Parts: sequence; C-alpha cells; structure tokens
Amino acid sequence: MNTNYLYLIIFAILIGETDIEVNLSSIISSTTYVTVLLGIAATKAILIAMYYQHLKYEPRSLSVWIILGIVIASLLMSLSFVQLSYHSFHYGSS
Amino acid sequence: MAIANMQVQFDDLFWLFTYLAALVAVVVFGLMVYFIIKYRENPNSHEPDDAPILGRLPIPRGHARSVIITVSLSTIILGVLVIGSFGSIDSILSTPPPCNIPIYNYTTYNCSVLVTGHRFYWEFTYPGYTNNSVTGQPACHEAKCLFVIPVGYDIRLNVTSADVFHNFGVIAFKVKADAYPGHINNIWFNAGAPGNYTIQCYELCGVGHATMVTTLEAMPLCPATITLTTRPCFEQWYNSTIVH
Amino acid sequence: MAERLVATAKRWLYTTNHKDIGILYIITSLFFFVAAGLLALTMRSQLSVPNNTVLNDEIFNQFVTVHGLLMIFWVLSPFAFGFANYIIPLQIGARDLAFPRLNAMSYWFYLFSGVMIILSFFFGAAPDLGWTFYSPQTSFEFAPTIGLNLGAGALILIVVSITMSSVNFLVTMFKMRAPGLKLSRMSLFPWSILITIFMMLYAFPSFLAAVLLLYVDRAFGTFYFSSIQGGSLLWDNVFWFFGHPEVYIVLFPALGIIGDVIPTFARRPLYGSKYVIGALVAAAVISFIVWGHHMFLTGYGVITDKLYTVTTVAVSLPFDVIVISLIETLAMAKLRLKAAALFTLGAVALFIIGGITGVYLASVALDYALRGTYFVVAHFHYIMVGGSIMGLIGGLYYWFPKITGRMYNESMARIHFVFSFIGFNILYFPMFLLLDMPRRIATYTPDTGWGLLNFSATVGGFIFGGAQLLLFYNLYRSLRSGPPSGPNPWNGWTLEWALPSPPPAHDFDTIPTFSDDGTIHFGSSIGLPNGSSHGDGITKPDSSSIGHGYSALHAEGLSPWPILMAFAAFIFFLGLTIGKPANPQPVSYQPFWPLIADGVILGLISLLGYSRERFTVHEDSHVESWPFRQVPNMKLGIWTFLGAEVIFFGVLIGAYFFVRTAAPTWPTPGTVFEIRNGFAMTLVLLTSSLTAIMALASGRAGNRNGLIVSLAGTLALGVAFLYIKAGEWFTLGSGGVFNSYPLPATSYFITTGTHGVHVFAGMCMAVYLLANAIKGKYVNGDHVTLEHFGLYWHFVDIVWVFLFPLFYLI
Repeated sequence: MNTNYLYLIIFAILIGETDIEVNLSSIISSTTYVTVLLGIAATKAILIAMYYQHLKYEPRSLSVWIILGIVIASLLMSLSFVQLSYHSFHYGSS
Repeated sequence: MAIANMQVQFDDLFWLFTYLAALVAVVVFGLMVYFIIKYRENPNSHEPDDAPILGRLPIPRGHARSVIITVSLSTIILGVLVIGSFGSIDSILSTPPPCNIPIYNYTTYNCSVLVTGHRFYWEFTYPGYTNNSVTGQPACHEAKCLFVIPVGYDIRLNVTSADVFHNFGVIAFKVKADAYPGHINNIWFNAGAPGNYTIQCYELCGVGHATMVTTLEAMPLCPATITLTTRPCFEQWYNSTIVH
Repeated sequence: MAERLVATAKRWLYTTNHKDIGILYIITSLFFFVAAGLLALTMRSQLSVPNNTVLNDEIFNQFVTVHGLLMIFWVLSPFAFGFANYIIPLQIGARDLAFPRLNAMSYWFYLFSGVMIILSFFFGAAPDLGWTFYSPQTSFEFAPTIGLNLGAGALILIVVSITMSSVNFLVTMFKMRAPGLKLSRMSLFPWSILITIFMMLYAFPSFLAAVLLLYVDRAFGTFYFSSIQGGSLLWDNVFWFFGHPEVYIVLFPALGIIGDVIPTFARRPLYGSKYVIGALVAAAVISFIVWGHHMFLTGYGVITDKLYTVTTVAVSLPFDVIVISLIETLAMAKLRLKAAALFTLGAVALFIIGGITGVYLASVALDYALRGTYFVVAHFHYIMVGGSIMGLIGGLYYWFPKITGRMYNESMARIHFVFSFIGFNILYFPMFLLLDMPRRIATYTPDTGWGLLNFSATVGGFIFGGAQLLLFYNLYRSLRSGPPSGPNPWNGWTLEWALPSPPPAHDFDTIPTFSDDGTIHFGSSIGLPNGSSHGDGITKPDSSSIGHGYSALHAEGLSPWPILMAFAAFIFFLGLTIGKPANPQPVSYQPFWPLIADGVILGLISLLGYSRERFTVHEDSHVESWPFRQVPNMKLGIWTFLGAEVIFFGVLIGAYFFVRTAAPTWPTPGTVFEIRNGFAMTLVLLTSSLTAIMALASGRAGNRNGLIVSLAGTLALGVAFLYIKAGEWFTLGSGGVFNSYPLPATSYFITTGTHGVHVFAGMCMAVYLLANAIKGKYVNGDHVTLEHFGLYWHFVDIVWVFLFPLFYLI
C-alpha cells in the first residue's frame, strides 16, 4: 500500500486513541484507568516509533538503544517504589 | 569488652569479615607476588611461544575452569558473609518492646527517646514532655540537649531532623541512623556499662557539621537508698531534669 | 614568529583531530589533578592534628566538595578519555572518530565547565556540601550561595560534553572498525571504553535530570528536593542511581589499560580474555541495580536492605574473575618490570584491597556502623586512586613514547612508583583504622584519639603528592630531550604500535586488515610486524610539534565552531547561575540576562556556522560494522542520543511518580490542569508528526511544493503547541498555582517545561529546514536531513504521548 496512505491510517489511529483516553475516565474505575491509559500511550508510542520513525524497517539492533533505555529507566522507577512502599512519612514536627 | 549489644554484634561480624578477608588477601597476594618473582625476566628466560607480536592477534588462552573455581569459592565466602549480615540486620531492625521503669511514684519511663537533628546540635525529647524551642545555636547547653539513658535496658530511638539531612551516630555503640526531615528512623541498643559515650554527626550538613558533638550518658538504676556518695543514677536524673 | 604563534594557536583551538584532542584532554586533566590534589593536601594538613586552624570550617567544606567534584568529573574520566581519543581510533583502524567536530566540542565543553567550577571560588563560595549534594541542605533555603548554582551549571556543561562523547565513541566503535576486526577480537582497552560509554550514555542523563531539578528548585522555588514529603529520598535515589554506575565509569578504562599493559610486559596473552570481557559486561549491567547500598540507613525496610546487600555482593564476583585472570596472565610469563608494568600491577594490588573492603560496606549490618566514616573514604580511594589513577599513570608511561616519540627516564619512573605506592598506603591505610571518624569534618578534638592516625595519613599524603613531581619532571624533560623511542618499544601487538611514534596526522596510510586466521596486514604503512620498518625507519621527532607532518589534510580538519559553541554555552550557563537573589521572598535567583542573551546569540551563530560549514569526514567503505551494517553513522548517532533522552525523560517522569506517591493528597484530574488544553496540544503535536513524515515523503519523491507545505505545517503546528502551552502557563501562574498546589505545580511545570524546550529546539530546526527547502534543497536525493529531523521530532511527540495522560488525565 502507498506509504502516505499508511501514514494517514496511523494518524487516524493515534487520534482515535487520544479520543478514547479522554473519554474513558467516566467508564472504568480509577486503578484500571491508569493501567489502560499507560497501555494506550504505549501503543501510540510504538506505532509512532515503528512507522514514523521507521523502526519496523530498520535492523533490529537499532531498537536496542531505546529498549535498553526503557529497561534502565524502569529499574530506577520500580526499585524506588519498592522503597516508598516501606516508608512512612511524618509531616510536621512530632 | 561489651559496651553495648550492637557493638558486640558489630565486632563479631566485623571480625568474621576480617578473618575471611585476610585469608583471601593472603592467598591472592601470595599468588601474585609468587608469580611476579618467579616469572620475572632474567637473562635465562626465553620469549614464550604465544608472546604477543605485531601482526597477529593474541592466541586465546585460559580455561573456563578458572572462572568456575573463582566464582564458586567467592560465592561460598560471600554467602557466609551475607548470611551473617542477614542475621545482624534482622536484629538491628527488630524494635524491642518498651520497658517500664518507674520513676519514684510519679511516672514511668518507657525507654524511648526522640532524637532530632538541628543545625548544629542534637535535641532529645523524652516521651510525654516537650522541649522549649531554641533557635539555631551552634552548641546547645540546655536541658533538651541532654541525653541520658538507663544501663541494661533496650533503648529505642526515633531519629529525625528539623532541617537538613544529618546522621546520628553513637560511636562506641556502633549504631547510627539517617536523620532527615519528614521521616523517622528507628534504632535501638542496650548499653552494657555506665559511662559517657560520644555522639557525632555523620552526614555533611553545613558549616557546623564537625561541631555536632554531644554525649550520651548511661546511668545505672538507682539503689534502694541514696546517699551523698551515690553516683548519679537514672531515676534521680529523670525526676529532676525531665519531670521538672 | 607571530605567524607561527597564530598558526599554533589556530591549530590547537580549532583542531578536530582525535590525537590533538586526546592530548588536550590529558594535559587539562593533569592540571585539574594537581589542583584537586593541592586541595587535598591542604585538607590533610588541617586534619593532621586535632583542633587545627589551617582551614576554617567554611573553607574546608568547600575544599572537600571541590576536591571530590574535580577528581571524579574533571580528572578521572577525562584522563581516561584522553587516552581513548588518542588510542582507540588507532587500535581499531579508524581514521578519526565518527564526528570529529562533535569531539572537539566535547573537549571545549569540558574545559569551560572546569573553568566554571574553579570560578565558583571567586563568586562568594564554592559548592560546600559534598560532591553528593544531599537535600535539603542544597536547597536555597539552607544554602543561599551562588557557588552551588555555579556547581550545578558546571555539572550540566560537563554532562553535555560526556553525552556528546558517548554518542561519538559508540558510533565510532560500532561502525568504523578495520576489516576483520570483529568486536570479539578487540583488546581489553577498547572493550573497557565501549562498556564505559554504554554506562555513561545511560547513567549521565539521570544525573542531568537531578542537577536540572536541583537548579530549578533553587532558582525558581520549586519543591522537588526541598519538600519534606520525600524530597531528601528523591535526591538520594536519583543521584545514586547515577552515582553508582559513575564510579564504575571512572574505573573501567583503567582496568582496560591494565588489561592491555600487563600482557604486553608479561609477554603472554591475557588469560581468559573473553571471560574478562564478559565479567566487565556483567559488572556494568549489575552496577545499575546496586545503588541502594548508598542509602542503607535511610530506613527503606528490611527487604530492600537485603536485596541491595545481595546485588552489591554479587557485583564483586565479576571483579574476582578479572583480578584472577590478570594474575594468571603472569603465569609462565617473562615479566619486564618497566614503569607501566609496575603501575598496573600496583593498581591491581591496591584494587584488591579496595574491592575486599567494598564487601564490608556491602553488608547492610556493617554499614550501620561504617556509614559516613573514614572506612568508606579509604575504600573508595583505594579503588579510585589505587586502581584508577595508578592504572592511568601506567597508561601514561605506556603510551608516552607513542604520543611523543620519546622515551622517558626509566629509573626516575621506577622511583616515582616506589614512592607513590608507599606514600599511597601510608596515606590511606590508616583511614581504615579511623572507622569511627566521621567524613568531611573540618576538625576533631584530642580526646577522640584520632590524632596519630591522621598525622600518619598526612605524612603519607605529602609523600604521595610529592612523588608526582617526579612524574611531571620526568615527562617534561623527556619530551624535550629524551631518546627516540621507535614505533614499538614494548613489542606490543595492538595496532597503535604499527605506526611511527608519533603517528602522522592521518594515522594509517592504509587501514590494516584482519584475516580469519588472526594475522594482521598493514599494507604500505610503516612499522611492520617484526618491528622493523621500511623507508622512513624510526622517525626523528622534534619537540616543536607532537604529531608532526600536519599538512593540508589536517588544515582541512580545522573548525572554529566547536570552541565558539562551547563558549556560548559557558556564557549562557554563567548567566543562569551567577545572578543575585531578586529579593528574600520568594526565595529564588534572578538570572543574569545580559550573559544569557549573549550566550544564546553566540550559540545560534555557532550552530548556524556549524551546520553550514563544509566539513569532510573520510569514510572508508570496507569496515566492520556489526550489528549496524546498514545504518549510516549519523542515523546511528541520533538513535544513540535518543536512547540517552529516554533515560532523561524517564527520570523526570519517575521523579513525578515519586513525588506523587509520597504526597498525601493530589488534586483530581481536571481540577488544576484543563483536560481540554492537553487534548488540544496532543492533537496538534500528533498532526505535526504527520506533517513531518509527509515532509520526508515529499522530499523523497522530489516534490518541492509538498515539502515546503509540510514543513511549514510542522512549524505552524509546533508553534501552536507552544502558544497553547504558554497560555496555559500564564493562566496557572497568575492564578497562584504554586501556592495552592506546590507539588503538582512543580512536577507539571518542570516536566512539561523541559518537553517544551525540546519542542522549541525542534522548531528552530524546522525554521532552518524550511529556509533550505525554499532554496530548493532536500528534493534531489539529499533528504536524509529530513529523516534525521523526523527521528528527533517523533521522539518529542512520543514523550508528549506519555505526558498528556500522566499530567492531565490521572
């Protein structure tokens, strides 16, 4: 299929997903909402990366940089959160 | 010598580490020195067959066996150290129950103290009593800066800070806690003998960091009858300083 | 005469040659080494006896902070990368780095950042809270000094320098190796550099985010680190997440040098080289999950305590493999104990002690007593000075003949080693015994009993420091009148020894090739396998120019834009950091706008000059480039850079999560930030991605009108995005959002603001592209620039795709 046409389709999907994101909060519970939102954001990101940034057609090795970066950033986030979950914060003087 | 339970525990673990460290060091250094001396260049030594020369990649050398032995032995030694450490940390982090020391007939003391780091002094608050506030003095001579605990009891400290990131350490007891605002850290110890023990700050907190020195005084409980020659004892101090 | 002077100045200021830049790095880092060393000796004098009065507390705190900062950032890594710059292209058979002007820019950013940190002493006070900058003592409330701002500015500059270098070296080492030089065939030094730059690429953006947030906290009164709702812990995490890989970053190049030097002088190959490389990789990977051991006492619970004890203890295992392999290399060897061998073997010995004591500190239980004491100081100095510095000095003696063409005085070098080694141990071993003494205290009282050990340490310090005089004297004298060294005085096998000493400007006449059976062919380059040479023979170096033979080929490589760009950045950050406080309430800094404006103007001029300059890079076609065979260098460079950006934004978003989780309450969606605005901005930015990709398609298809329309559209949409954001910011700001919702405002403004800066930069690029498109460019097969812009722009879009739901919808 014509690449320009493909770009337009991806664009339409992205806009559609954004619409869903904004209108979803009223339908599902808040904790599921966060997960779903992040999931939608992730699919958008993957679509942009694969088709607009052309990663789908590049050698697999190129994606490595980004994937490594994501893994390492998530290490920071996850391990810091393990810490936070054991914390109790005391505000003001006791 | 048992100054405090935490100190004894530290010493034991530290010496375990040191014995093993010395063993490893002797073996590794010994091997290294032996090789250096034995294989040093001398007029009789000839160029090894696989000596690196320009124009050729080095010939691969070495066995996986060496890696396996090194990693296995290290893992065993490290495993011992980790298990010892886990035992100690479980003790350090398990807060003991409160005690119940009657202070004459007025009140009881439950063996906890709130320690608050300031720039640049330590403030001690006993449960149920509030300190008068004093603003930013480099050295504190008020009652709030006195830290006295009874000997032989499990003392629980709640450590925090009123301003910046400090660290509270009783040197001889080998026990420390980070003191930062918005959070309370719990540590405990049991003093083995009466005496004065130095406390210092172990995290750079500003210009007065080196001056955040104070003393922990461990007092025995008072005997049944107190005479003029009786040494300072805990209930008496508590009654006169904290209650009044 | 004046002409010669101008020519020399031009050459050194405008050079882009990797060998020149390597020399610049080495000399500059040695200068900072001496400066930081003098700071240390002054501190040691102060601490030699109790209650001393050499330095007061204020000055001492500044000295200890700047000593740490200089040594870690301005000495250890630059010294190593001086060698990397000079030697790596030679060792892999490349002609230079992939992006020579970027390389020059890295150096000048480094130099100016060093100037900035030294300047801080003259602007009231240097940073004085330790190189670790703990919060909240570094907030404006507790440290209202310009010095910390300058420190932050200098650090930002050097992180930029390092990121540029990381991209450069990664592309070079993956894409420019000689034919037949598979990655597995590289010796240990290039491997250590490769692994180091991976760590740099992924660790430094975290530090950049942390320093940026700290600066913003101080200058604009935001609350990331000053909040009692976890501010201290946030800094602790973000800093040490960078901090631990950083200490491996400053160590690994020295290990690589040791791994090249010992086999050469032992006349035997490195034992188990593939296991050593595997161990280095393993250590690098594990280094990203041990940072909690710097936070053992923060009270994060027993499970996290045990987790970090296990990971930290695990990271010692690869180092065991490396050390044992290095020692086993000596078996059945023919060991020549020249200076380089002495220093590298000494480094191994001292590293062993440092490593063993690291295991003590890995135990959370022992750390409860050892935290913040001189035991820690001793541990890391054994690694960083004993392991790293001694290894790097070994490298200096090793490669001095190659770089200068002259041989140093061996006896003086051996005496240098003996005094260094003995002095080092007298200086640092007593510190292990001072395991009760707090770090960073300016003085102590006599009743502590610490006087004797401190005095001994000071004596050792002066011996060690004094011994370095021998190094400088030896090298200086040998540079002027040392005997010619010849191309391969050590009989090494790595490729740099095949070139004359010093190498000509263009390095190899013909790139060497590696055959399957392991032989290396040098073509017509002089310096053949058996050490003899044709024709020229041993070139006679003259002291007037290291790397003589600079010809028109070299003049072609001169460019003024790197240094101008670095200077522009320097002025810009100076303006951001030296402004005096506006007034005490609210606490904030007033940036010094004249300098900022000058910096921006000069920066734009330099950028323009840089992009328009005709700079040719010789690219050889038959090179090893696994696994990026079909990826052009520039594209690989951009993707590498985007990898770093992922970490940068990841940390910013992570900080937001952290702050939000630690906060007791948070406004519900839609109450503070209008969802409508976020939705509009998302649609605008997504459309701009579409127009950007359409621009590329038009360029590819040769459609000039389509290209111009698409680019103009992208530009318009980007501007629209910024316009909506500006409006939103104005409304929020004038509505007092910082007072009503300090933490949400903080995280929102900073995260979307940083993203906005990226959008703005993209717009500048779009303007430039549009101007060129109107002139008719990009439609005749030269559309690759559009693709590069697109990669960046789509990434910016992707970041917003995450920011929108995170800040507006939850």
